[in-house]
Amino acid sequence: MYAAAFSYHRAASLQEAVKLLQDLGDDARIIAGGQSLIPLMKMRMTRPAALIDINFIPGLSEIQNSKGELRFGALARHADIEDSSVASAIPIVHDCATGIADVQVRNQGTIGGSLAEADPSGDWGTALLALDTTVVCFGPGGRHTVPFEAFIKDAYTTVLAHDEIVTAVHVKMPPKGSGGAHLAFKRSAPVYPTVSASVQLTLEDHNTCKDVRVILGCVGLTAIRAKEAEAAVRGKSLSEKNIQAASEAARAAAEPQSDMRGSAEYKRALVATLVKRAIAIAARRARGEHAEAGHEYVGR
Amino acid sequence: MASKSVAKKLKRKTSRGPSANGAQAAPAKWVGQPIRRKEENRLVSGRGIFVDDEKMPGMLHIKFVRSSYPHAKIARLDVSQAEKFPGVVCTLTGAEIKKQVQPFIEIGPGGAQKIADYPMAVGKVVFQGEPVAAVVAETRLAAEDAAELVEVDYEPLQPVVTAENALKDESLLHPAMGTNRNWHGVFTYGDVEKAMKQAAHAVHIGRLHFHRFSSTPLECNVIIATWDPRSGDIEYHCNNTFPSFASQFLSPALGVRIDQIHMKSFDIGGGFGIKITSYPYMAVCALASRKARGRAVKWVETRIEHMQASAHGNERTFLDTRVALDKNGVVLAIDSKHVDDCGAFPRYEPLGCVIWAQVLPATYRVKNIRIDMHQVVTNKCPVGPNRGYSRMQHLWFMERILDICGQTLGIPADEMRLRNYIRKNEMPYKTPNGCVYDSGDYANMLSTAKKLIGWDDWKKKQAAARKEGRWIGLGIGSTLDSGTNNFGQARIINPDAPFSGQSKVGIVKLDIYGEVVVSMGSVPQGQGHETTAAQVVADALSITPDLVNVRPGFDTAHNAYTGHTGTYASQFAVTGLTAIHGAAMKLRKELSRLAAWKLQAKEKDLEFGVGAQGPEVRVSGTQKSINYWALANLVNVNNAGMPESLWDITLNCRHVFHANFQIPDVKRKYGNLTLTYAAQIHTAVVEVDRETFQPKILAYACVDDCGKAVNPRIVEGQVHGAAAHGIGAALLEDCAYDSDGNLLTATFSDYTPITAVNMPELLYAHTESPSPFTLNGAKGMGEGGAAPVHTICSALQDALYPTGVIIDDSHNTGDSLFRAVQKAETGGYAGMVQVEHRRPSR
Ligand SMILES: Cc1cc2nc3c(=O)[nH]c(=O)nc-3n(C[C@H](O)[C@H](O)[C@H](O)COP(=O)(O)OP(=O)(O)OC[C@H]3O[C@@H](n4cnc5c(N)ncnc54)[C@H](O)[C@@H]3O)c2cc1C
Repeated sequence: MYAAAFSYHRAASLQEAVKLLQDLGDDARIIAGGQSLIPLMKMRMTRPAALIDINFIPGLSEIQNSKGELRFGALARHADIEDSSVASAIPIVHDCATGIADVQVRNQGTIGGSLAEADPSGDWGTALLALDTTVVCFGPGGRHTVPFEAFIKDAYTTVLAHDEIVTAVHVKMPPKGSGGAHLAFKRSAPVYPTVSASVQLTLEDHNTCKDVRVILGCVGLTAIRAKEAEAAVRGKSLSEKNIQAASEAARAAAEPQSDMRGSAEYKRALVATLVKRAIAIAARRARGEHAEAGHEYVGR
Repeated sequence: MASKSVAKKLKRKTSRGPSANGAQAAPAKWVGQPIRRKEENRLVSGRGIFVDDEKMPGMLHIKFVRSSYPHAKIARLDVSQAEKFPGVVCTLTGAEIKKQVQPFIEIGPGGAQKIADYPMAVGKVVFQGEPVAAVVAETRLAAEDAAELVEVDYEPLQPVVTAENALKDESLLHPAMGTNRNWHGVFTYGDVEKAMKQAAHAVHIGRLHFHRFSSTPLECNVIIATWDPRSGDIEYHCNNTFPSFASQFLSPALGVRIDQIHMKSFDIGGGFGIKITSYPYMAVCALASRKARGRAVKWVETRIEHMQASAHGNERTFLDTRVALDKNGVVLAIDSKHVDDCGAFPRYEPLGCVIWAQVLPATYRVKNIRIDMHQVVTNKCPVGPNRGYSRMQHLWFMERILDICGQTLGIPADEMRLRNYIRKNEMPYKTPNGCVYDSGDYANMLSTAKKLIGWDDWKKKQAAARKEGRWIGLGIGSTLDSGTNNFGQARIINPDAPFSGQSKVGIVKLDIYGEVVVSMGSVPQGQGHETTAAQVVADALSITPDLVNVRPGFDTAHNAYTGHTGTYASQFAVTGLTAIHGAAMKLRKELSRLAAWKLQAKEKDLEFGVGAQGPEVRVSGTQKSINYWALANLVNVNNAGMPESLWDITLNCRHVFHANFQIPDVKRKYGNLTLTYAAQIHTAVVEVDRETFQPKILAYACVDDCGKAVNPRIVEGQVHGAAAHGIGAALLEDCAYDSDGNLLTATFSDYTPITAVNMPELLYAHTESPSPFTLNGAKGMGEGGAAPVHTICSALQDALYPTGVIIDDSHNTGDSLFRAVQKAETGGYAGMVQVEHRRPSR
């Protein structure tokens, strides 16, 4: 399996990367971790004429807590985020990073690359929608930001122009009394999830849901914000009945397709279950309790 | 049925080397020890020698153009653009190859002989991924680029995807055969109808299905072929695991003598049987080398090619099963129709149509059995022997019968098995079809497996959990790993098949400076042959394993092969090691004669061991000794004055293992098909999540009995590997085709081979029932019999009992269980199992 021939360019700065994108034209692509791009190139399902390597641009890998935000450089690897005590300030971020693929992929793959790839099954695209996230981009006109809700337009499609690059991802720290969880159901480690769900909720008193976001992954062309599911619990007590209603609303909001990961109907059942479980874990975390959340695998 | 005389007869005649009077080996010191593997350091420190590491001068690379259709006419094939591509040396097409080769021989009789199996598609394609053309170029990149320029137009034909559809013969894969059914035979023993009449309970079971899966070795197929225009010889560096079989297919196809086919393998990154049928690719690589005027041609299979078009395991459907049981749940008779699906070309098949009969009654005493066996071709990847080959499908079927009948009659799984197991005191046990189970104590293994997992505790937990509405099940899988096969069983398939028996070669020599060197005919792929061979030779010569140099891999130049040579069918511990032992004992005898002359002593006064100057022979009770260097020196470079009576000594000793097999009675389909029967009994506790329907393994235990373990550490490793393979097959791995014949699982993202995160903790115990038929009492055991597939199905059946689900497939996922529970809720399993309770006429 050899990729079709391509030229390789190493950018030393963002400006140079943008210039290369412009000079080399439409068939040029940025390469970050290569964990989406290289497999596709080897199968010749994509064949860029030129690759622009951004891995040597300084300052794109930082993970910082600043001004009430967690700030991730676009090149922050999934494994760096998984191991970062700074990033663990938002549990849902840690849940997400830990569950992506296997160690090899996590060591290489980047948060910026994940968002730019906009795979409908990508974990970051689901988890970060549950939070207030902005994507920092750099292009010919310099730096600008895009709210994450507006960043991914369709499956594998973002608002980025050909000569724009993601440089950072900023995630607002959730308020006190807020908790979240990202859960995914996977068959084995090195594969995308069958279904994932992210929930971030804020409690008013011990059991009343002041605000909530419910996001579904892998069951649509992009991650789906299940507003009816949110409405089922927002401003209400987290009673079993209300959580059940949210879970049923999420099932209805999903638009899954049948494939080797599972039939559409089964995926809907998984959506309902994961949302219910994610709400329960998010609520416990919001109360300050310790609660493990992670991916579930076949067999164990 | 028990017959001590059978044991005696076989024991006496199983070849174990010459009796070495005066040169008797000391009792086993190394055999039986869990010593670390000799090959381990080399392999984990990057010093393994794999085919892809090899580079030859002027070596070219080949890329196959493959069919995207499962069944289609090739309307047009144009390689002209590819041939013009820079770096391309030549191309090959099916039509061109047809003029140069004979189709491969077919093992099956009758119509199957009319199948034209060429190494590339000729005129039409019969499975997705079948090679239609090949491009040979200076670099792999050029070959891959040029392959995209080959133009093929297809006219799609109706694909045949399921075995049941194949039997309808509406669309034929091989029109010359006139049918898709390439083999049919009825195996009938005892009096099934009489037993059915006498039964207290008659159970009818609907369709059961054993799915298609494979082995996913880390290393895919790799071949380097050089067809030397001067000698006409073909040299192969490859990782085929049954080189003698491959050369018997290649020789007539390519029109070369077998002695012109040189084969070499070094280390192999896993095989599990499915590399046995790589010979079509070996043929193309040789033809490509010839067309390139003798330059070496290398093929490195990609994972997608491997998944699509190397080999899959056999898929089998079990129809209209009738079971007769007495009032205690003892199975009296089984009657069933089995349809095996071998994919597009039979190749190693239809041997699978008899190989299952090695374990006809499984671990049970049932005497009356009638199996109507069919095999069909379908538009899917051809099958190859896949770990547990053909027996696991049948053993799974038998375990399903036990569980389904047990549940229907209200008899617990463990009780059901205890009532039906062959007893220890019946061993050696003759099966209704004339096979002889050498030894075993299944009841004891079961009780060990239950203890290991804490069965009684789990029963209590299960009862409590059921009250909470949870689905927890306890399962048992009893399986056999029959080893050292008698190729005579091929006569049951085709009375004209010109092979029978079993043999293996071992060579042990003392080289010029006294080094002990072992050459084997085996083709190890992780089974630790270097280690166990060294243990056996160390004992035979009373030295230590580190003094034994075992040459890894297979090489025709070593002349250590017969036509049976390869590593397959759970047998090295018996066949390979007995051959090596025999050779070592011959060497010992030669050393003894030589030392007696040189030391002027009687052979009976000699002692073997390791002295200050290395391995030596000494006269007991004296200072007189001679070391191996001096002995080798005497024969090889210092032999003036040696008496003529010693001139036959070569210190290069070859021994051929033979088992005392007869040709089976072809009419009755009766005879001894295998020498040894290793067993594994597993227990598992599985919970099906009520919301996600995901099966979770809460506890898992494996008990194995392979007779005397030559190296318990290696045995345990094999049990672990086979358990992982089986758990993967049961829950994750499936070569799934859609109804149009497209393979849906051609990448690891879709096939999802099992990974560490899916594995439960394995509890393990070894029990030992030495085989009376083999040297050291060992039995072959590497295949493992797919015990987890049986065990997990059994546990799932138990877990879902309250829902009415019948586990009727060997592959179960959260999705399929979700649909199964829905099906049960709507009464979909009604009629799947029908029971008739009768008053026995006796
Ligand atoms: C076996 C396997 C299993 C996987 N399983 C999962 C999983 O379970 N969950 C999951 O979420 N992901 C999974 N992935 C994908 C993984 O997370 C990738 O890392 C991610 O999709 C892409 O990130 P990357 O840095 O590797 O990007 P690359 O592959 O380098 O690039 C991907 C695309 O994004 C563009 N790009 C990259 N960086 C930028 C940038 N800064 N600005 C603009 N464009 C950019 C590239 O041009 C390219 O088009 C898996 C991947 C593999 C190989």
